[in-house]
Amino acid sequence: MNAAPSLDFLGVAPMLVIALGSMVVLMLEVSLARAGSFLGRPATGVWRGTLLALVSVVFLGIVFGMSAHSFLAGSSHVFNLDHPMVRLDRFANFGIAVIAMASALVCLLSFAYLSELRIHHGEYYALILIATLGTMLLVAATDLLTIFLGIELMSIPIYVLAGFDRRKLQSNESALKYFMIGSFASAILLYGMALLYGATGKTELAAIRAAIEGGSATNPLLVAGMGLALVGFAFKVSSVPFHQWTPDVYEGAPTSVTAYMSVTVKTAAFVALLRFLIAFEPLQESLIAVLWWLSVLTMIVGNVMAVIQNNVKRLLAYSSIAHAGYLLLGLLVATPEGYSAVLFYLLVYAFMNVGAFGVVIALAQHGRDCDRISDFAGLAQTRPGLAALMTLFLLALTGIPGTAGFVAKFMVFAAAVKEGYVGITIIAVLTSLVSVYYYLRIPVVMYMREAGEEEPRAELSTGEMLVLAACGFAVLFLGLFPNAAPGPLSGFRALDWARQSVALFF
Amino acid sequence: MGIDGISLVLVMLTTFLMPVVLAASWTDITRSIKSYFFFMLFLETGMLGAFVSLNMFLFYIFWEVMLIPMYFIIGIWGGPRRIYAAIKFFLFTMFGSLLMLVAMLVLYYLYFDQFGALNFDLVDVTGTGVALLDTEIALAGEDVWWKTQHWLFAAFALAFAIKVPMVPFHTWLPDAHVEAPTAGSVVLAGVLLKMGTYGFLRFAVPLFPDAAVAAVPVIITLSLIGIIYGSLVAMVQSDVKKLVAYSSVAHLGFVMLGMFAFNREGLEGSVLQMVNHGLSTGALFLLVGMIYERRHTREIGEFGGIAKPMPVFAALFGIVTMSSIGLPMLNGFVGEFLILLGAFARSAVAGVLATSGVVLAAAYMLWMYRRVFFGAVENPENRGLIDLDLREKAVMLAMVIPIFWIGVYPNPLLRRLDGAVSEVMRQLPASVSQPRAPASDVLESPPAATDEPAEPAEAAP
Repeated sequence: MNAAPSLDFLGVAPMLVIALGSMVVLMLEVSLARAGSFLGRPATGVWRGTLLALVSVVFLGIVFGMSAHSFLAGSSHVFNLDHPMVRLDRFANFGIAVIAMASALVCLLSFAYLSELRIHHGEYYALILIATLGTMLLVAATDLLTIFLGIELMSIPIYVLAGFDRRKLQSNESALKYFMIGSFASAILLYGMALLYGATGKTELAAIRAAIEGGSATNPLLVAGMGLALVGFAFKVSSVPFHQWTPDVYEGAPTSVTAYMSVTVKTAAFVALLRFLIAFEPLQESLIAVLWWLSVLTMIVGNVMAVIQNNVKRLLAYSSIAHAGYLLLGLLVATPEGYSAVLFYLLVYAFMNVGAFGVVIALAQHGRDCDRISDFAGLAQTRPGLAALMTLFLLALTGIPGTAGFVAKFMVFAAAVKEGYVGITIIAVLTSLVSVYYYLRIPVVMYMREAGEEEPRAELSTGEMLVLAACGFAVLFLGLFPNAAPGPLSGFRALDWARQSVALFF
Repeated sequence: MGIDGISLVLVMLTTFLMPVVLAASWTDITRSIKSYFFFMLFLETGMLGAFVSLNMFLFYIFWEVMLIPMYFIIGIWGGPRRIYAAIKFFLFTMFGSLLMLVAMLVLYYLYFDQFGALNFDLVDVTGTGVALLDTEIALAGEDVWWKTQHWLFAAFALAFAIKVPMVPFHTWLPDAHVEAPTAGSVVLAGVLLKMGTYGFLRFAVPLFPDAAVAAVPVIITLSLIGIIYGSLVAMVQSDVKKLVAYSSVAHLGFVMLGMFAFNREGLEGSVLQMVNHGLSTGALFLLVGMIYERRHTREIGEFGGIAKPMPVFAALFGIVTMSSIGLPMLNGFVGEFLILLGAFARSAVAGVLATSGVVLAAAYMLWMYRRVFFGAVENPENRGLIDLDLREKAVMLAMVIPIFWIGVYPNPLLRRLDGAVSEVMRQLPASVSQPRAPASDVLESPPAATDEPAEPAEAAP
């Protein structure tokens, strides 16, 4: 215990880069605000915001490159070998790459939107980077302490971000609600972790697993701890019955923040939950019952509630609950196929959801969101490109073949059927039938109704254009070539990567 | 991918109908023309893909992909209730196909457990040559496979039955047909509905032969209900397009009846009737579209005596009507006759009931024809109607030629169907595929055809 710990800083390198990035952005913001001009141009709000967004994107890009590189190299680093709290293995690198990419996309979406809403402040990007730092820590965490640390580091900036539009009542409500419920969930999670520590005397996941296998599996303290910790995770992934905050928070927060948290928080929480569940594999029997019900309830409630929504952000919130149900189904299966399907799903989900929210963002004007379904009326005539992209993202979320969403759902269902979970798969496909109805409502008004009085915003910013094009391409590309593309992109084998990522658990 | 006699005729039907339909929508479609063509060609891709897929997964993809363009075609260019119809169409079809997807996955892993290889292919190329995959999977016990097979068949059959549509699942059809633009209706009736019957023939029956045989009473009953109910409902329609839509339900009932008679005549007639229905119902929809463009109504009561101002139109409508009710010399007769032969061989009661359907079809079609075309021109708006122009004549001529051709000389088609139908027969358990009644040679089917079915059927285990 007294020997100097052997620290491998490569194990936390991406986190360090992002931490540095957030500080740079914060400093840059302050100094730009002081300076009247920068590089000979007047440092106006929009220009300053754009610059900060680009700096954030550069840092996120570096992290993406690092994690992609060490993923492909297959390297694995543990920060502290004596007490492995952070492990940067293939699995973590996959998660970090997805998160870094999604965060970069959101940053690119943000600057025009924030100036449209007249809430363009530099802290935004710093907060995004800090939250991203938290998600990365969560993804790489192998210890209850680092899991908790990651969750808090991720959540606190997002509480602030949700209330970023501080003149808007809804945004404040969203922040407060998320903060209250989030703290509540954290407390439950922490309580569960404390019980787990009490039951096993360990905080490290691998050690806990060893302790369970060593014979304390019947300890009621252990089961209670696991249950409470699962509740905490269920809050974070917005699984029914711990989902009530999701629609309100998603609706009230600025859309770019909604896009950010719907993707990165979900990805990080699912990845961490996956590691957590693996530690409790010896308790599989009780886990299966819990996950089965969580998954079924989440799919049914999410999809059914989405049907009656009239606000696109709320609709997408319920859709994100529904998708959590499908992801839980993948976790329930608990085979390499199931887990790799979950990872692939998360990758695809990032593109689909950022894309769909990106269109909502691109429609914002006059300082408000165009987020009622009726705002989309006649979009096919006024903005055919945006309408086509929105349709593509919604079809992908539905899971229509040819789009990435289908491949993702298919992999999950295939894994489930393979393990004999036919009943729940039937429930899953029937709920995704329900989803057809509400997702298609938006193309219906876009293509089949006449445009309203109000002209949509005339111009897309470069960032928005770039992000929407990238998401659209990715959704089609992963849908048509999930594992092997012809020509120069033949090295792009997303399904294989997802499989390799989970290989280390088996 | 691959093609045999059955898919060949359907591919030909598709590729034949699409240009005709596009020519017919020249004046019908006036807005967003670019997207219209995009969706039509996208639709054709999906249809052709589904007809030639020999891989379940690929088939499923094409099958689902077809929905999207059709959904937009109905939803954007359709009639007043188009949105309702489009969503109903989408939801109904998707419901069946999602369950089919689960069934496919189950089958896939059953196959994996049995043979240790992952295979979605319908064709087993590793055996001696290319033969349809025998899925006689010997599970732990015969019993288990028997039960599993029933469930799997039910899932496939549901998906296809919705698409056909067989009677309890048909309610999406009239809505979709009535609201779709003319071209949409033609493609829907001509090709998309065939997707369901084709699915039965290509997937549901060969994959699960025992279950299919067990389902014969159910399917035949539903088909008969479809024939009679469809005809009766068609009779009371006041909207011509709706009448044609319900006649589709009846015709597709014939197709299913012939198929599940499980004998050579029935199967061949059934495939032929798929083509016939595509031609005659497609032609009817085209004609209805032409009169709708002129009068902007389809109510039978609004018309009367149209034959006077529009003689060419009336003549063409007459021919197509006759083809639809199965007048000898025209295509409908050949198909229906073969199907009835097959049905009688399977069950006399079914045959008698089906024949009553033919009578009913004649009744509602001719009655409609009389009310629209004959008598005095009472509605002044009908007086100034202009007869078909050159483009419309050309379109209709293209439809009428094959109607006559199949009616007079169907052998080229039947010959190509022979091999494929034998293959389907071979898949069936011996108890059903042996001809009960002596095969009839009324239509002078090629000599090779008559002696073939008995032999492979006996060879089957």
